[in-house]
Amino acid sequence: MGLTLALGELRRGKLRFTLLTVAVALLVFLVLFQQTLAGTLLGFFTGALENQSAEVLVYGEQARRNVEGSVVPLTAVEEVASVKGVARAALLGEGTFTVRTEVGLRDAVLFGFERAAWGTPLTLSAGRLPRADGEALASAVDAEDGFGLGQRVLVEPGGTPFTVVGLAEDVRFSVLPTLFVPYEGFVAATLAANPDARGVLPSLVAVDPEPGVSSEVLAARITREVAGVEALDRRTAVESLPGVSQVRASFAIILGLGSLVVALVVGFFFLIITVQKAEALALLRAVGSGTWFLLRGLVVQVLIVVGLGVALAALLLLAAASASDASFPISVDPTLLAGTGGAMLALGLVASLASARRILRIDPMAATSRSGAGGLA
Amino acid sequence: MRLAWRELVRRPSRFIVAGGALTLLVILLLVLGGLLDGLTAASTGAYRSLGVEAIVYSGESRASLLRSRIGPEERAQVAGVPGVLAVHGIGVALVAGWGPRAAEPVDLAVLGYGAPTAAVPSPPEPGTGFADRTLAEEGLRVGDTVEVGPARVPVRIVGWVDGTRYLAQPGLWVAEATWRQVLATARPDAVLSPGVWQALLVQGRGDPAELAARIDRSVRGVLALTLDEAISRLPGVEAQRTTFLQIIGVTVVVVGLVVALFFALVVLERVGMLGMLKALGASGWQLAGALVFQAVMVAGGALVVGGIASVGLALAAPAGIPLELYPSRLVTTAVAVLAAATLGSALSFRRVARIDPASAVGGGG
Repeated sequence: MGLTLALGELRRGKLRFTLLTVAVALLVFLVLFQQTLAGTLLGFFTGALENQSAEVLVYGEQARRNVEGSVVPLTAVEEVASVKGVARAALLGEGTFTVRTEVGLRDAVLFGFERAAWGTPLTLSAGRLPRADGEALASAVDAEDGFGLGQRVLVEPGGTPFTVVGLAEDVRFSVLPTLFVPYEGFVAATLAANPDARGVLPSLVAVDPEPGVSSEVLAARITREVAGVEALDRRTAVESLPGVSQVRASFAIILGLGSLVVALVVGFFFLIITVQKAEALALLRAVGSGTWFLLRGLVVQVLIVVGLGVALAALLLLAAASASDASFPISVDPTLLAGTGGAMLALGLVASLASARRILRIDPMAATSRSGAGGLA
Repeated sequence: MRLAWRELVRRPSRFIVAGGALTLLVILLLVLGGLLDGLTAASTGAYRSLGVEAIVYSGESRASLLRSRIGPEERAQVAGVPGVLAVHGIGVALVAGWGPRAAEPVDLAVLGYGAPTAAVPSPPEPGTGFADRTLAEEGLRVGDTVEVGPARVPVRIVGWVDGTRYLAQPGLWVAEATWRQVLATARPDAVLSPGVWQALLVQGRGDPAELAARIDRSVRGVLALTLDEAISRLPGVEAQRTTFLQIIGVTVVVVGLVVALFFALVVLERVGMLGMLKALGASGWQLAGALVFQAVMVAGGALVVGGIASVGLALAAPAGIPLELYPSRLVTTAVAVLAAATLGSALSFRRVARIDPASAVGGGG
């Protein structure tokens, strides 16, 4: 069954092949969609930490690698700065606040960084880094929600004002709009929001290693030498944030099950089709068609159906991306599309092995014993 | 219908294909729902266990316990609102705790409270606390003393409570004085003056939504929410819910399509037999009904097998995976799958209706 026969069968069996293609498309869309959602969700959880300049982050030991729960005593900050291999150490404050923007009250995360020190975003896309008190850099994705360039944001209660002077990509934290402000401004906002506060301690210490010192080695050294703190290189800090591993594991299960369903649906569909046309295939074998001729037809059909399914799924993802909300944008990643598409094609071919086995076992003599196919028995 | 049933019983292998795919899809749906429920329970258990009609925050807190401050004046005003029966304070501190045997500290949500809730008895003596039962998995026992927060404030566990996690951290329910001590030592920037709580729990009579609205209208500078509203506004809960429901929705559509695909193949395969049945007097509706019956039965079988497999998965899942299967999730999944199977099989009605009884005479098909 060469290309002509395989294509002819696709044309004649429009309904069943269309249904299969649509089912595969939806399944592949499900896989792509959940991977995209997971990527966006995880980026919103971790972006601010992942895309800031400090290569090593030092937590209070009791924080259990949770930025929100971390408090570093000032004495420990000095000790961290004196550890061999530390080029510079700077304070980094973090807290979740209510802020008043031009469009209303919003939740927002504030990161307070020491000016011209480590802990500032690496992904500046508009404007500049804050230089003076009362200036802030905001997550670009929230620009239209009152965090745009030049807009004023008040931290409540207390009304501590900040003006957005810069925007950076992928710097949300805990799925909230995020502002990077000078450390003094962070302290002022915290004290104004809670007049009962007895003081504000840094949440983290942002560390710059000396040239030639690896961040992993330096983090281990700081943890070993300074009591009451735990230092992590940036990648480990991101992976250790609360919920990240849970969300990753949950989506891995969904991805695994989704892929399994694609394989099962494609595999069983072609198996049924092969069984249904066993007599015709036996006849083809009897009149001289080789096994590879028949297998080639199967492979062509699988590639066409799964390929069209992947293409349709990509279109669905594009539609979902264009319809997605600005506060939770879904973007189409060509690498993800290519990787998942390739994997699905490979999975489709693997799933059709049962059909291939059935074709290999077809006996040409069977054609002579089937009345429906012109045989005598 | 009898014929459809007999075919299912006598030739089950014919339906294994659709059954297998549907079983996997059922597992996928239940795992998705179970993950959503597990993540939600881990974040919201403490709130669900409160059993109050409303929660009152300060107006600018945006329903965040950690950012809310409610003073004695507001508390007195809330208590005076018609329909309010009792008002108590609540506050939380998210810290680590060290048990007597564990090498690693455990995450804790230390909750200070003023009166018994639906799941937690009256506040214990200062220095003692009721612990969420999930802490037993961390090696803690009743009678153990946990050192809480950076200042290692000692809290002796005097009993277990169930389902009281807050933002994925097990609850440790303590008296007001203990909570204030932990808060002051762990977060100097979050200290509250005596008499100031993070939020108020309101017990009242009548419709909770009306009660919350009345409090909102009567007391300036506060935000009153029903318990359900407060739960949905916990950080991350709505985002997780939306994400998972979108994936579940697409999966249900896939279920319908798989059923449609399978029964389209079945009808194609049996055109001759169906023509024969029509020639013998069976109506198109009878044949279509038999098709739906088979689809529902196959989906039902997939629900049973998939349900058992999912329960097994939930039991075997490692502690890091928050998979929890509730009966309500099983019921909603069953309804969705059966509905999708019915609709999917209905796509073959047109083809069944178009089968010509005369085709039986020619032995076609």
